Amino acid sequence: MTPDKTDLKEHYWKSIKEYYKDPEVLQAKLNEFAKGVTDEFSVDKLNGLSRRRFIALLSASAALAATACSDYRDKGEIIPYTNRPEGVLPGKPDYYSSFVNDKSVLIKVREGRPINIVGNPDHPVYKGKLDAQTPATLLNLYDPERLKEPTKDKLKIDWAKADAEIIDALTKAAADGKEIALIGDRITSPSVMKLFADFKKKYSTARVYSYKQISDENKRIAWDQCFGTRNIPSVKLNNANVILAIESDFLGREGNTIEKTRMFAESRDIINNGKMSRLYAAEGSMSLTGMNADYRLRIRSDYHHNFILSLINELIGKGMTANADKELRDMVSSFPLDDFVKRHGLDALKISYLVKDLLNDPSGSIVLGGESLPVEVHTAINLLNNLLGNDNLFDYSSVELDHQPLSTDKELDEFIERSLSGEVGVIINFGVNPVYHLPSSLGIEKVFSEVNTTISIVESDNETSALSNYVLPSSHALESWGDNFTRSNIYELQQPVISPIFNTRQKEAVLLSWINGISEAYSDDAFKEYLMDVFEENVFITQNPAVDFKSYWYNSLHNGFAHIKSGRLQPGTFKFNPVRKTTNADDYDYVLHLTPNYFIGDGRYANNGWLQEMPHPVSKISWDNYAAVSPSSAKKLGVENDDLVKIKTASSFLEIPVFIQPGMADGQISIELGYGRTVIGDVGKNSGFNAAVLQESLSSVLIAGVTLEKSSGSYKLVSTQEHHSLDDDSVKDFHKMRHIIQEGTFKKYKEDPGFLHEEKHKLKGITREHKYEGLKWGMSIDLNKCISCGSCVSACNVENNIPVVGKDQVELGREMHWIRIDRYYSGTPDEPEVSNQPMLCQHCDNAPCENVCPVNATNHSPDGLNQMAYNRCVGTRYCANNCPYKVRRFNFYNFRDHFADAYYQNELSYLANNPEVTVRSRGVMEKCTFCVQRIMDAREEAIREGREIKGSDVVTACQSVCPGNAIVFGDINDPESEVSKYRTHELGYHVLEELYVKPNVTYIAKLRNTHAEEA
Amino acid sequence: MSTIDFTRELAVVEGRPPLREIDDIISKPLETRPDKKYYIALSITLTMLGIGAIALLLSFYYGTGLWGNNNPVGWGLPIVNFVFWVGIGHAGTLISAILFLLRQRWRNGIARFAEGMTIFAVMTAGIFPLIHVGRPWLAGYLLPYPNQHSIWVNFTSPLLWDVFAVSTYFTVSFVFWYVGLIPDFATLRDRTTNKIKKVIYSVTSLGWRHSNRHWQHYEMVYLILAGFATPLVLSVHTIVSFDFAVSIIPGWHTTIFPPYFVAGAVFSGFAMVQNVLIFIRKIFNYEHIITLDTLERMNKIMLLTGSLVGYAYAMEFFIAWYSGVQPEQFAFLNRAFGPYAWAYWIMVSCNVLFPQLFWIKKIRRHIPVMFVIAVLINVGMWFERFVITVTSLSRDYLPSSWAYYKPTLVDGAILLGSFGFFFTFLLLFTKTLPVVSIAEVKAVVEGSQPSHGEH
Repeated sequence: MTPDKTDLKEHYWKSIKEYYKDPEVLQAKLNEFAKGVTDEFSVDKLNGLSRRRFIALLSASAALAATACSDYRDKGEIIPYTNRPEGVLPGKPDYYSSFVNDKSVLIKVREGRPINIVGNPDHPVYKGKLDAQTPATLLNLYDPERLKEPTKDKLKIDWAKADAEIIDALTKAAADGKEIALIGDRITSPSVMKLFADFKKKYSTARVYSYKQISDENKRIAWDQCFGTRNIPSVKLNNANVILAIESDFLGREGNTIEKTRMFAESRDIINNGKMSRLYAAEGSMSLTGMNADYRLRIRSDYHHNFILSLINELIGKGMTANADKELRDMVSSFPLDDFVKRHGLDALKISYLVKDLLNDPSGSIVLGGESLPVEVHTAINLLNNLLGNDNLFDYSSVELDHQPLSTDKELDEFIERSLSGEVGVIINFGVNPVYHLPSSLGIEKVFSEVNTTISIVESDNETSALSNYVLPSSHALESWGDNFTRSNIYELQQPVISPIFNTRQKEAVLLSWINGISEAYSDDAFKEYLMDVFEENVFITQNPAVDFKSYWYNSLHNGFAHIKSGRLQPGTFKFNPVRKTTNADDYDYVLHLTPNYFIGDGRYANNGWLQEMPHPVSKISWDNYAAVSPSSAKKLGVENDDLVKIKTASSFLEIPVFIQPGMADGQISIELGYGRTVIGDVGKNSGFNAAVLQESLSSVLIAGVTLEKSSGSYKLVSTQEHHSLDDDSVKDFHKMRHIIQEGTFKKYKEDPGFLHEEKHKLKGITREHKYEGLKWGMSIDLNKCISCGSCVSACNVENNIPVVGKDQVELGREMHWIRIDRYYSGTPDEPEVSNQPMLCQHCDNAPCENVCPVNATNHSPDGLNQMAYNRCVGTRYCANNCPYKVRRFNFYNFRDHFADAYYQNELSYLANNPEVTVRSRGVMEKCTFCVQRIMDAREEAIREGREIKGSDVVTACQSVCPGNAIVFGDINDPESEVSKYRTHELGYHVLEELYVKPNVTYIAKLRNTHAEEA
Repeated sequence: MSTIDFTRELAVVEGRPPLREIDDIISKPLETRPDKKYYIALSITLTMLGIGAIALLLSFYYGTGLWGNNNPVGWGLPIVNFVFWVGIGHAGTLISAILFLLRQRWRNGIARFAEGMTIFAVMTAGIFPLIHVGRPWLAGYLLPYPNQHSIWVNFTSPLLWDVFAVSTYFTVSFVFWYVGLIPDFATLRDRTTNKIKKVIYSVTSLGWRHSNRHWQHYEMVYLILAGFATPLVLSVHTIVSFDFAVSIIPGWHTTIFPPYFVAGAVFSGFAMVQNVLIFIRKIFNYEHIITLDTLERMNKIMLLTGSLVGYAYAMEFFIAWYSGVQPEQFAFLNRAFGPYAWAYWIMVSCNVLFPQLFWIKKIRRHIPVMFVIAVLINVGMWFERFVITVTSLSRDYLPSSWAYYKPTLVDGAILLGSFGFFFTFLLLFTKTLPVVSIAEVKAVVEGSQPSHGEH
């Protein structure tokens, strides 16, 4: 076939086939689309699995699967709340009153598990406030290292068998005339008193020993000598105008700090009362109370005896003679105050102010003595108080009761001697730890190998239980019944809020079953019945209420206490008790002062990560104790912070790192007890040094005549705040220069209330700012009422699931506390002035953290909260950099996993988490939320009740526990609200207000009640 | 007295090598097998890279806690490294774009290499913003993409601007570099006998035929891209400086930062280019292409930018004093006399004092000395970023929250790894692409252009 030439002219050709006019191609050209494509569509005609058929099948099977689910049966063990337990509303917490750590509390329980410990607002002493220890004790309930089963010689044994064996041993010991020693804590419970008495009745050879490492025993002995009773009246501190604290840390760790703090704060409530007490603290160690003093007199702890007598002498000489008889005059005449002042290089001006104040207002002045002082100093203090005639400041209707004196050193010595000579058959360690607490010179360890049957009933293993044959696990306070009668007007009750998590029994119930003598007879309710009987006998019958016993009992349980109409417990008349002449303290180079730790106490909370990590109120050191010495003493010795020193007494020595504490008296060493536990869980391991080894006897906590020498090596102490040396001029007084802490004197304020704002410019924004209409959250913190105890920090930790990071991370500056107490020194290293400031997210209107976050993870709510969206946060840390208050905290690790090999990452410890607060993970920024979960809870409540939410509906965690009532939270747009009063007060200011970030936390300027106008 | 003829252009390439010889010498490294020294060098850089990779894996597994960062100092070495590497990445585009627009023909010998360094430095820098975050697997949140949460990125955050600035800079630099490579790819395609190489070069040269039309378009595109890249050179480090300048931290909150950062970036970039070129010209015998004159010119730029940086240091102190703001004043006193004084004085001596030696012509032209000075400049510039980032954060407003920052071994390993990453790419570059632009060098060989000077 040849191509048609004419065609060629008219047609282009695309292929050779087309050129040769292949009929196939010509045919194909007629059809635009390929064969079959344009045919009518029918599913039936489709082959195999077409697209349409596939989709049809897919949707059909999906529909089938969906309907099939209706018959879904789970084979797993899920127990739904279809039959709701009575009184439990899912998601709604219940509160039960009880007492924990000897403080009356409410326990917040969600679906049967305790998640928080808050104050009991009805309680007349605590008024809903708490210290730092109590909320954190929640962690002890969920400590994975609690004892879970009874053991005998480290092998598991069941309760019935253990009981039977022990009852046999007790019976045998009683029959053989061998002593049964019951060693316990100070007895505060009437039912335990009765229990011990019953125990003695059943086992005639039983003897009870009670001890406390640090106690107010000396004070009680002195009181007994002076007034004929060991029951000491409480002090109406709120009515005092002048307070002289002699080595007394009444705000920090001595006696009822919650009540005293509240009263002290009340006496300095300028906003509401317009008045201010004056606090003189005479102390050798720098304590929390000393930090809050208007005048701090730096007097070595062994000079106080002479100091008080000199003071008495001076007061008598200046005409205070009403209560001064001849005998007293004669006794003090050899103590001229001028000599004392000169001899110890004190500030004569401060002393003269003190004398003047005491003379001016004797009945408004009170002298408080510290627990570590010897009996004769307490006697001298009683003399001084008697001289002042301040009886009106003692509250005889609420007396601090004493049920039984503690065992004396002699009694303990004799007990050990008897044990070693085989006269003791059984030792029962009733929830304490004598091997750790008693001075090693007594040699109590040996006793445990000598005595045949040794029993420890304890919550977790300790130095004593490790040496005991029988270790019986005791229940936590939240799993126990109990009563407490420490104040003459209140009888407190304890009730369990959770059934024992492990195979534990409360120690009182164990003892009760031994009294019954039948091992099978144990019942969980037995001790409760016993307790009710005691309550009926002691309270119901004497108080004779108008209701029947059951209602009275339930009512008291509900409240957590019963009021006791005890009337006025007037002590005997003051008996003059000539003070023994003590040795001249100047002979010694060094005096050692032992105190309990603010948070882990005598070591009982050493395995509690929250409490270990609390920064020391003064030094800000956590996880360790140290030997605090004055800057001059350190210089003399040639030591720096962290250097190891050797402290020697006649019989023993201790190597411990030194910490240079401004404000310490020269020649004084102060060490906290409770550290250096050897048998303890992973948290408390390797934390600190046990200073109890330096004690000759339990009562000697003020040890004169120790020697101090530099040792080799060092030990790293970690703190949450850098130690800027006070004498470094380049960084001195920055807190004042930068208006972080604004201060003045009470005198200046009275003369010129607006003094704080005189030199301030009015700031103006250049952008159009967001208007906050309606409710807007804000907080105020009164620096005059805040004593920096750290309760807020602890309460926040529990409420907001703050992780424990451990010593290594604190060293790197990665602690996670959302609220912290900043401590600043001014003045000289020897005589520092201290300013404290709680610092938390300021929820700034112009928050600098918000505009720098690239992913909008932090932003502002319409009611003025600076919010964090954890899920959105990628962790650039830019917000933390740009926060001028440095309150943002970053999860550098998954801290729950990172701390001590995931110590708190287990099924049990998870239960301590507050279900209303997200548990943050690694790589996320976090910070104070103003307890947004509480705000939302209050909002839901308001919606349910069909009303608007009010600022006063919300109480933040820090505010709720604050014993000084220093924190107020609420609606700052409501002019009537409490917080508005503070916000607009002339003493109110914002930290770094010149940055114009417009913070929403108002601070009330700190006033010092000094004689001069300038602080 | 002899007079100097200022109208005569100085020769950029020494001697008068035939154009064929230029082809040969520049493509020689690509046509020969790598020698033992090359493998030794590569194994060193790969080891460094490996150490860095292990450190990064550990950081991803355990968390940023392995670094020295703490509560006040949220940004540590990763951000220091980021700013440092972005700075290194400045010289390339400056040389190829700005100097091109300014008709600085001496740049032709070094432009390709400097651009390559830019690309690798920006790649190195780009790693850090991604890895420094707490949850690197969510770094995608930094990109604005529509999502079912309806959450948009925060356009007021300088970190977000960084994402855009750095990625734009990288893209434009890369395109610019690639466009410049097209004629060279064509030359290589024509020279090679290896089939695989031929295919690759054919594809990458995009059908370049050295035709007049091609050249005409090429010159136009190159000019436009140069114009496009020029503002980016200035904007990238300006925006990086905003990371600091937009904050309210004393020592960061400074309006001088943008020009000061750009000057510093050019400074460190030139120092790095000079360092590497000294080796390249020696190893590949390019002494007559990358001449001592060129190196001297680079040293002059270092002298200029170094002085600018020194001026900025002084001005920061002056403004801090003049502002009367106490935290601001303290921030600078603290830099010079606080706990980080050692870092500050390393920075000042390396950046301000040593470069002043370049006033002396002998030193400008003395290769070992200039090499040492440039190394010191890079040390100094790294410390500048360290001083800025760390000192301001470690002691800001509240003395209660001051803390000392100490980098950890892992931090150091990541820094080492970044050098390994950079130099590995650089080494691979020398063996895969012409490190000097064949076409551009040919253009500046004496006699290659019609001129009336000599006839």
